[in-house]
Amino acid sequence: MTTDRTHRNRKRALRIAHFIGLFIAMSIICIPGLWIVLNSFRPTVEIMAKPPVWIPNELNLDHYRAMFGGNGQGGVPVLTYFRNSMVISVTSTIIALLVGMGGGYAFARYRFKGKAALFVGLMATRAVPGVALSLPLFILFARIGIIDTHFGMILAYVAMNVPFTVWLIDGFFRQVPRELAEAAEIDGCTRWQAFWRVEFPVARAGIASAGIFAFLTSWNEYALASQLTRSVYSKTMPVGLLDFTSEFTLNWGGMCALAVLMIIPALILTFLVQKHLIAGLTFGGVKG
Amino acid sequence: MVTPSIDLPNGLLMTRLKLPPWLVLLLPAILILMAVVLIPLLLSLYSSFTSYRLTRPDSITNWIGTFNYEKAAKDENFWAAFGRTVLFLTIALNLEMLFGLGLALMVSKVTKGQRLLRTVMMFPMMFSPILVGFQFKFIFNDNVGLVNNALQSLGLSSTAIPWLVDGKLALFSIAFAEIWMSTSVFGILILAGLYAIPQDPLEAAKVDGCTSWQSFRFVTLPFLMPFIYIAMAIRSLDVARAYDMVQIMTNGGPARRTELLWTLIGRTGYVDAKMGYANAMGYISIFLAIFFTVYFFKKLTSARAELGMGG
Amino acid sequence: MKFFAGGAGLAALALTTATGALAAGEFEGVTLDAKLIGGQQYEALYGRISEWEAETGGKVNVISSKNHFELDKEFKSDIAAGTTSWCVGSNHSSFASQYPTLYTDLTPYVPAATVAEYVDANIAAATLEGRLVMLPRAQFDVSALYYQKSLYSDPAKAEAFKAEYGYDLAVPTTWKEVSDQAKFFTDAPNFYGTQYAGKDEAIVGRYYEMVVAEGGELFTADFHPAFNSDAGKRALAWFVDLYEAGAVPPGTTNYLWDDLGNGMASGTIALNLDWPGWAGFFNDPSASKVAGNLGVAPAPKGSAGNRTGWSGFHGFSVTEDCADKEAAASLVVFLTNEDSQKLESAAGPLPTRDAVWDYVTEQAKGDAFKSETLAAFQETAKTAFAVPATPYWIEATNLIYPELQAAILGDKTIDEALADAEEAVDEMMQENGVY
Repeated sequence: MTTDRTHRNRKRALRIAHFIGLFIAMSIICIPGLWIVLNSFRPTVEIMAKPPVWIPNELNLDHYRAMFGGNGQGGVPVLTYFRNSMVISVTSTIIALLVGMGGGYAFARYRFKGKAALFVGLMATRAVPGVALSLPLFILFARIGIIDTHFGMILAYVAMNVPFTVWLIDGFFRQVPRELAEAAEIDGCTRWQAFWRVEFPVARAGIASAGIFAFLTSWNEYALASQLTRSVYSKTMPVGLLDFTSEFTLNWGGMCALAVLMIIPALILTFLVQKHLIAGLTFGGVKG
Repeated sequence: MVTPSIDLPNGLLMTRLKLPPWLVLLLPAILILMAVVLIPLLLSLYSSFTSYRLTRPDSITNWIGTFNYEKAAKDENFWAAFGRTVLFLTIALNLEMLFGLGLALMVSKVTKGQRLLRTVMMFPMMFSPILVGFQFKFIFNDNVGLVNNALQSLGLSSTAIPWLVDGKLALFSIAFAEIWMSTSVFGILILAGLYAIPQDPLEAAKVDGCTSWQSFRFVTLPFLMPFIYIAMAIRSLDVARAYDMVQIMTNGGPARRTELLWTLIGRTGYVDAKMGYANAMGYISIFLAIFFTVYFFKKLTSARAELGMGG
Repeated sequence: MKFFAGGAGLAALALTTATGALAAGEFEGVTLDAKLIGGQQYEALYGRISEWEAETGGKVNVISSKNHFELDKEFKSDIAAGTTSWCVGSNHSSFASQYPTLYTDLTPYVPAATVAEYVDANIAAATLEGRLVMLPRAQFDVSALYYQKSLYSDPAKAEAFKAEYGYDLAVPTTWKEVSDQAKFFTDAPNFYGTQYAGKDEAIVGRYYEMVVAEGGELFTADFHPAFNSDAGKRALAWFVDLYEAGAVPPGTTNYLWDDLGNGMASGTIALNLDWPGWAGFFNDPSASKVAGNLGVAPAPKGSAGNRTGWSGFHGFSVTEDCADKEAAASLVVFLTNEDSQKLESAAGPLPTRDAVWDYVTEQAKGDAFKSETLAAFQETAKTAFAVPATPYWIEATNLIYPELQAAILGDKTIDEALADAEEAVDEMMQENGVY
């Protein structure tokens, strides 16, 4: 009886600790972000107020209205930036995933000479500090004439994301037992059929998370974009954030409004795609 | 999700060129990385041996041997930034890993609303590093910032704490922003790893009478290790993204208290226009990055070997 | 050949610009690529580009629109890559000397009579090694002293101040008074006497003008560092003293212009040396708590009797590689002509043409705040000075500012910090072959 009760008590204590821990963690994660969302609806005088205004006296859409307003009224070509960001991020993510699946599969399933060195070599390309890369890349792109184009940005982002997708997908393919595909092949599937029907669904969790990462990296990247884009033809949203700064001033409320427009699509996409992560769960069932 | 159309061209290529299949699969990755990374890198390697100034393009032909490297080797500001970067990376990565692990475990235990929690957990990943920089610059502002305002309103502090100026606090603030931004990466990868854990060893452990700590320590954790190392390695490569953030928050200052390699190199290269020298410093710091990569790769391989997934 | 073509263009231009009108269809079929500074404050002017297009038949294609620092990075990258065949670029007097090869001398394309219409000091600062590299737009910047008026109408404060410092409390005219009053007004952490930009080029600029106000100079005529002098030490001591006394926000060494502006607007700063662009913001009740309580005075003087007056301005330049420099120069003149400057300065920025200064002063009559602001800035502008005209100005600031910060934060003494900065700048100048 007593052991049972202490057991139950311990379980309850654990549950409460779990809840509190989760609550604190989620608060730390959310508050700085929600602060930005809130700021986008507040007049500037309240954001930077001292003594602080904790309960907003006034919430309005002024920053959004100004952002969509015309030239000279604080207008920023948001929709164009949004389209550029979308086209560049989605395309580069899809390509990076395809290339990464090929590479990841090769590393996970084939044995060949110099594999370890090649792998580290691929990864090391990501280790290059962007600062050392951005100028020569700019010069190269300028010579080919793909500065300020979607193509140039997509190319750069694919390269940036490929080591990452290869690595991640490789890791997930390794989790798939070789026997699974072999069994399928014995059942009369070709290697490709076995791949798509057996190994791919199992590694889907990995591919989904690689996809989310690649997309978010491209969606949020600033350093390269600020170098390789010039004008509204290809400027992405993170670069557009800087439209709210001028030599002496910074329109923080306006910047927050654009930030919200950047965050929402990413959030929606993540919410939709992340369910594929659950696919990993079925793996246990497959094997068991 | 992804269309299966690539099997056709790949299949064609393989039969026509008779390349080994692994090479065919890897070729696109290799080609893209060569074009976008390797060639520019060679260009900047070359320029690190010249007195290259951005504003005087002809200076790229002015070969000065290892002058830039010697200058960097003798520059105490460079080595101070180097040491600080190593310290910053070590602290930030380890804390991110621990917090990420904790977060993933907590989220995985939740039964209701997990889908929402997972999305919330990834919330900071939606923030562009440059936005994070502005955000925390304002949050940590000593006069009208959110943190000091909150502390003063709650009566916890009666002074304006100079978060971004004080020697220790400034590094803390930057690390906080970095950890806030990147813990999700560990969290989500470890969470995916948790989902991929086969259930039977865990059940076997339970049958054998293991406590939950024991089954975590001896079953779950070894299985998670490859995921943790993947995340570690990816983050250590990726950590230079923090450049945008640090540049906005403190730009290495004040008085070089938060100077990291990236802010130093970025300023030397673009603001001072001394690209040759900046590239030399960049190359020295690449060794740092490669060291981390190789280290985590070794760890990854051994963790995989333990699980019988080596090769 | 090229010379003659240029000469012909010059003649045509002289005819048209002298009367202030453009010849219809003069640049039919010409397309000018332009890289113009972006941001709210600057973009209203670009609405006039279509007028120029309609009148001349030329076309302007804005291929880059970024903020000032990003644009600087882009120009440097362009020089490095050789992609400089675009025509018109935004420029800034503090940055212009860094691009010695990028921009052409405008003298052959702009008649002397037109050049004479701009403020002489601005044209002087836009002329590097005898070449007129840019024409200034109505974005002239010099700092004046913003203050909270209510602080000077409280008899209790006035009495307490007199008791402590022995002279009457009034809007400060010297930096010594600013220092005294800043300490007097401070009630940390809720209220601070003043604040200053604490990093990057900004603090070096502030230090530079203080050195001048103290009677010293930053560089000698041949660009040897000259700030490790008595005047230089007094100037730095002013910053250090205020920081140690806690009369500035403790984070001030991490502040740039936006932080300073937000601080002033939050109503927690008594005295704030700042740029003209903020006047409208500070006096806007929806953005600022000091609206209606804001006074503007000319920049105070240092112990040598000089006003501080570090100044700069935006303008437009034409690239050396531009295919049609006549058309480009015509656009640059158009964007800085009287109508353009009237348009820009209506929103608050200061003009760079004599006639437009008169015009805005006239317009401000009846608006007490506007008149006060203009008078303060006009007075300060009289003795304003530009940054030292060396291509290594920005590089030098990057060597100097960490040392200034170290002295302010107490990591080094004033003597050590200035000696270290002097040595670093000296080494850099020698390495670049300046002397």
